[in-house]
Amino acid sequence: MSNAMNFGTKSFKPRAPDKGAFPLDHFGECKAFKERFMKCLKDNSFDNSKCRLQSKDYLECRMDNQLMAKEPLARLGFKDLMDPPPSQADRDTKP
Amino acid sequence: MLLPLLVRPQASVMLTRCVRTLRCDATRTPLHSQAEHFLRRRLPPRPHVHSRGTKSRGRKSKSQEEEWKTRNKTVLTYIAAAGVGMIGLSYAAVPLYRLYCQASGLGGMAVAGHDADQVETMTPVKERVLKISFNADTHASMQWNFRPQQTEIFVVPGETALAFYRAKNPTDQPIIGISTYNVVPFEAGQYFNKIQCFCFEEQRLNPHEEVDMPVFFYIDPEFDEDPRMARVDTIILSYTFFEAKEGQKLPLPGY
Repeated sequence: MSNAMNFGTKSFKPRAPDKGAFPLDHFGECKAFKERFMKCLKDNSFDNSKCRLQSKDYLECRMDNQLMAKEPLARLGFKDLMDPPPSQADRDTKP
Repeated sequence: MLLPLLVRPQASVMLTRCVRTLRCDATRTPLHSQAEHFLRRRLPPRPHVHSRGTKSRGRKSKSQEEEWKTRNKTVLTYIAAAGVGMIGLSYAAVPLYRLYCQASGLGGMAVAGHDADQVETMTPVKERVLKISFNADTHASMQWNFRPQQTEIFVVPGETALAFYRAKNPTDQPIIGISTYNVVPFEAGQYFNKIQCFCFEEQRLNPHEEVDMPVFFYIDPEFDEDPRMARVDTIILSYTFFEAKEGQKLPLPGY
């Protein structure tokens, strides 16, 4: 929380997250994906740009296990990872 | 101060003389003529009324007085109504503004809000690499072990990023926690957008349970264009967990 209410100073106002709060993964269903993501981060010196595929996999796992509201991944900023080649049919966007 | 006392006897003499001349209407003293002239100048000239007589003149002035009175009264009523209306408006402004905020979705934050579609259309600014450091705190009475799973992560504005915290309940009772966050530097906080996280909602941990808590966020691409942020390379995201007690209502932003 912000410090004492000094008159005139701007205080930090926390904002609610856009899509609400993640439900807790009590049963560790997506733990494997998380471990993969963390390993990728460690290997790439914590560069997020290189581990976007793993973060996408983690979020997909969450969506599959009712731990996250299903959303098209393009809306979560993964549009660049979602180019389905017309020949392949295994990678399709969720409704 | 003594001067008016000196003048007064003289003035009284003149006054009595003046009165006597008015009553007798004898030779016109210069004072009398001046007074009459002065009095005459007061009233506005009404040539046509003189011919009608004194009675009608009295009635007309009386009706005009009444007209003025009613007009004054209506004006006063209007002004009083406007005053009361203003006071009422100032009282009504509070719920009205709240309704407006709910309708427009600003939620009390009058800053330029980011829309959810931005995530879809934004392009990452690959030249600007930022280091996000993570910090985890708990309140003194909160017995969870709460820590980030990575100390830092390198992101670019416009790219969504995922980060993890871990929380463990080492006690034998279930504990419900609720968290809030803070972003340093202060001005960077407005560019820090969380898509989903674990804050502001009660999270319950059973005894000896350990969970991973993800934070899914991005930095607004406009961060790169802000001149105040030109020298900002590190942003610290700090979460603090508090214990949520029964029946406690916390002021949560936007909920």
